[in-house]
Amino acid sequence: MERDGGGGRFGGRRAAGVVAGCLTAPAGLLYLLVAGVALGGFLLWPRTRAYALDLLGSGARRLVEVERRRRTRFFGDRFPEAYEGRGGGGAVRYLAARSWAGLVCAVVLALLGFGLVLAVLLVGGVVRGAFGPAELLAQLVLGGVLLFLGLQGLFALTALDARLAREHFGPSERELLRRRIDELSVSRAAVVRAVDAERRRIERDLHDGVQQRLVALAMLIGRARRGGARDPERAAELLGQAHREAREVLAELREVAWRAYPSALDSLGLEEALGGVAQRCALPLRIAYEVAGPLPRPVETAAYFVVSEAVTNAAKHADATAVSVRVTGAPGGPLTVRIEDDGRGGADPAGGGLTGLRGRVAALDGVLRIDSPLGGPTTIVAELPCV
Amino acid sequence: MRVILAEDSTLLREGVARLLAEEGHEVAGAFGDAETLVAEAEALHPDVVVVDIRMPPTHTDEGLRAAVEIRERLPGTGVLVLSQHVERSYAARLLAGGAERVGYLLKDRVAQVEEFLDALERIHAGGAALDPEVVRQLVVRSAHADPLARLTPREREVLQVLAEGYTNAAIARRLHLSLSAVEKHLNAVFDKLELRGTEGHSPRILAVLRYLEA
Repeated sequence: MERDGGGGRFGGRRAAGVVAGCLTAPAGLLYLLVAGVALGGFLLWPRTRAYALDLLGSGARRLVEVERRRRTRFFGDRFPEAYEGRGGGGAVRYLAARSWAGLVCAVVLALLGFGLVLAVLLVGGVVRGAFGPAELLAQLVLGGVLLFLGLQGLFALTALDARLAREHFGPSERELLRRRIDELSVSRAAVVRAVDAERRRIERDLHDGVQQRLVALAMLIGRARRGGARDPERAAELLGQAHREAREVLAELREVAWRAYPSALDSLGLEEALGGVAQRCALPLRIAYEVAGPLPRPVETAAYFVVSEAVTNAAKHADATAVSVRVTGAPGGPLTVRIEDDGRGGADPAGGGLTGLRGRVAALDGVLRIDSPLGGPTTIVAELPCV
Repeated sequence: MRVILAEDSTLLREGVARLLAEEGHEVAGAFGDAETLVAEAEALHPDVVVVDIRMPPTHTDEGLRAAVEIRERLPGTGVLVLSQHVERSYAARLLAGGAERVGYLLKDRVAQVEEFLDALERIHAGGAALDPEVVRQLVVRSAHADPLARLTPREREVLQVLAEGYTNAAIARRLHLSLSAVEKHLNAVFDKLELRGTEGHSPRILAVLRYLEA
């Protein structure tokens, strides 16, 4: 739920809202009183209790709807659509509490008005010279204290009105906290899963690539040494092969290390690291980088992996012919990463790689949107808050 | 000898095949997965099958399962399994069918060309070849067992080489001892460990391994 901030611009409107709240309060109390008395007997009798409560609740809900509109209209509150409060009982409870608060608010306003009249009279008296200095001082002190109390009461009551509305029409603080905790648990689990998946991938990279090549290389050297005495020429040829193989192992190792973590991210920043992705990508890759100012390290890392994973997917699974990446961010705002390819679409958001990315982005309270209809094109957008 | 092999890395498969060919062995077939291996072994009747444990599709223990199956179906065929890491349970599963014509080596051992070829020869001759690393871990893990602690360093060395699958003569060569000295040490080992000093080396190896795994 959001609310418009700022008292200044909406001061007049808010004041009108407070007054409207005072006017609707007696209606609510009157309803509760009349309906309560009329249904009282039925409410006490167990058999009809539920039915009577329903009846009471449905009337209350109409009045509550008026309150809801008042809050939205004058205070700019935005409540979740069709948020089911706490049933009929909740509506009655809210109406009772809110009407009380409204009534008390009306009394406080009346007191303040009364104080204003007194102040005018006082000023008139001073002008006529009817007060001595001591009396004037006493009046001022007393009036000041009463004014303070009245204003304090008014603020407290408007705050109470806002809180009651928030708790009835939207999720309560408690529920918001619970949702947040759920969200955090889920994202934490996703992060752990993503890390494990990455480790598995690195292990596979090392085992299937680097290690096999090294064994083959050692074998070449072993063969060269073994046959060297019998056939020097053959041995030289094997050594040549081994040398070539060693160079390839080095290249492979560099690639694996880069896939595990591009060190350019730390030393040169996101833009350079993305340039590395473009160099390694088999497809033509256009990168537009429009970010003002430095980014937090975790955001850079997440953005990098979103791009590299998405580009890898586009090349591997989507049969794309071109990929474009756009990274935008204004100071203080979120970083937006947008990757589009012209492939055949149908990317599965529940697939391993994309789930890992979502976990990564969620860990930073970001959002990952994947739009990949069958037949393409695929668009992946990540929004990462820079806090 | 006639060999078939299964290894998913093309590079390594080619390398091993070349090496064996250079040594004058016949490579009757080289495959990229374990699925086809069993059927091919039945069709080609190799003397020894060399197989990598970790292969597609799941990259877990396909090769080992194929090896065990080949041992069951073709008792006369030697099997040499190459493993990524020392896994005692894998070695145990493989040796459950006896310690004849069987080998379990670390994959990196292939790079030690002589040792690899030597292991193949021993398996072909009806013996066993266990990776020194496997044996070392077994010995280290059972070091808490009292009788093992009573062995002299020399006796422990002899036991280790024996467990790798070498004959008395080969142990003597490797440790630069006389044959009679080896026999003396082994007798002392068998006494201390209360193992039957059986003749013929396969039962001995099994006895030792059972002891170490206990």
